[in-house]
Amino acid sequence: MEAFFQTYFDFQIIEDNFGYVLEGFWYTIRLSIVGGILSLIWGLILAVLRQLPGRGLAPVRWVAIAYIDALRGVPLLLVIFLISGGLGALASEGVIPEGLGIPRWFGLPDPFWYGTIAITLTYGAYMAEVYRAGIEAVPRGQVEAARSLGMSHGQAMRFVIVPQAVRKVVPPLLNDFIALMKDTSLVSVLGLVETVQAGRDVYSETFNASALTLGAFLFLAVTIPLARFVDWLIKKQDMKIQRGIP
Amino acid sequence: MTEPIISIRDLRKSYGDLDVLTGIDLDIDRGEVVCVIGPSGSGKSTLLRCINLLEEPGGGTIALSGTTVFGDGKPQNLDELRREVGMVFQQFNLFPHMSATENVSIAQVKVRGRSRKEADEKSRELLDRVGLGDKVDEYPDRLSGGQQQRVAIARALAMDPEVMLFDEVTSALDPELVKGVLDVMRGLAESGMTMISVTHEMGFAREVSDRTIFMDGGVIVEQGKPDDVLGNPSHERTKQFLGLVLAN
Ligand SMILES: Nc1ncnc2c1ncn2[C@@H]1O[C@H](COP(=O)(O)OP(=O)(O)OP(=O)(O)O)[C@@H](O)[C@H]1O
Ligand SMILES: [Mg+2]
Repeated sequence: MEAFFQTYFDFQIIEDNFGYVLEGFWYTIRLSIVGGILSLIWGLILAVLRQLPGRGLAPVRWVAIAYIDALRGVPLLLVIFLISGGLGALASEGVIPEGLGIPRWFGLPDPFWYGTIAITLTYGAYMAEVYRAGIEAVPRGQVEAARSLGMSHGQAMRFVIVPQAVRKVVPPLLNDFIALMKDTSLVSVLGLVETVQAGRDVYSETFNASALTLGAFLFLAVTIPLARFVDWLIKKQDMKIQRGIP
Repeated sequence: MTEPIISIRDLRKSYGDLDVLTGIDLDIDRGEVVCVIGPSGSGKSTLLRCINLLEEPGGGTIALSGTTVFGDGKPQNLDELRREVGMVFQQFNLFPHMSATENVSIAQVKVRGRSRKEADEKSRELLDRVGLGDKVDEYPDRLSGGQQQRVAIARALAMDPEVMLFDEVTSALDPELVKGVLDVMRGLAESGMTMISVTHEMGFAREVSDRTIFMDGGVIVEQGKPDDVLGNPSHERTKQFLGLVLAN
């Protein structure tokens, strides 16, 4: 028992490395927020493309669907390597400018941006599916009412469908965000010292896992309140449904 | 003889193998109030939905004040059509995330290009006219079915349509709420609005309509003065249908 606590809860080690792990966690937070916001936007674009009406736009829909299927079907880790390796190689061959191939925007290192791009590409696909479910959950009569008032398809989407879909997609999007946040740890493979890598660094120095435990608690400090918030939102919506409100 | 406001020739519509409209010819005059009756599945809703092209007809032509809006197998001047033809649905279809006023204003602003202030003013005026002057800021989930339906009517009227289509607008309502909606429609008819109303309210058809149309199996079986069609139908199927309706 003593040994167990020593290995996982050595407060001396936690104290000594608190700053280091917290610095890593600050990367985790930034990856999550920037990647999360970009995924939200990219996912919405994909969902709208996938929903475009008419026969002429069928190829656009197909491309969007193929993209979504592909990115949901391969591991994020692989996408991270594809992006970092690919962009780096293209830049060194001069196909794309170096600022794009080895991005160091806002003073953040290139692994951060490779990770952000990979996360956006993958989670955008997941979120596109969430948006789609939300759009499809809006009753057909809503589009018809909008169209019968003379709104274009785009106007009906923008003013009638999307605002209603948003309410339905907030809980599942937050769930995706929790998953995204945990997946940011994969960016450590590019040498970014985020929470997990920081914990591992301490471990390889001390052969003690306490810094990893600290990392776990830092994650939980964000994910548990978020999960509770999602539950609360869902419960609130269920209560509305019980009262017969759409 | 003025030109009919709506002129339909040989209108057809099928869903796969199911022929729902099998050749409808119909002229509606300006200011005319037409009620459409008929058994379930006879194609009444489909006819209305084809008139404002929520469904694309399979063939035939539709003209609005002489302008072709459907012909050569495709919609034409769709925007103009939707602007001139208002529609009210059985399920109201109010936008649940907007207040009554916003429901009535949104298309005025986005489609008609009115200023928000101008639109809201008109919306309040219309809501007042349908008896909801005290509910302008309520959201749909706080309104009764009858009130929601009256907002829906105001919303369609806000676009200043030339023609209003009503698809069984009282069918989803509790009996005590029907009258309020019918009163609004009656007022509208008296104001000279051109109206096509699919309805099960025979009393309303008899009292308000200039013409009653009986549809069955995707065609117009019989039409004429409501007293004739409802009181003294000449076709067997009409008699049968009315007998059934009365028996209920
Ligand atoms: N989108 C659709 N796809 C397939 N079949 C349809 C569709 N819409 C309507 N139908 C069919 O077309 C026929 C006519 O439907 P319609 O809604 O026009 O009838 P109706 O006269 O309005 O009936 P009701 O009085 O029940 O409203 C029905 O058999 C219906 O099942
Ligand atoms: Mg119907």
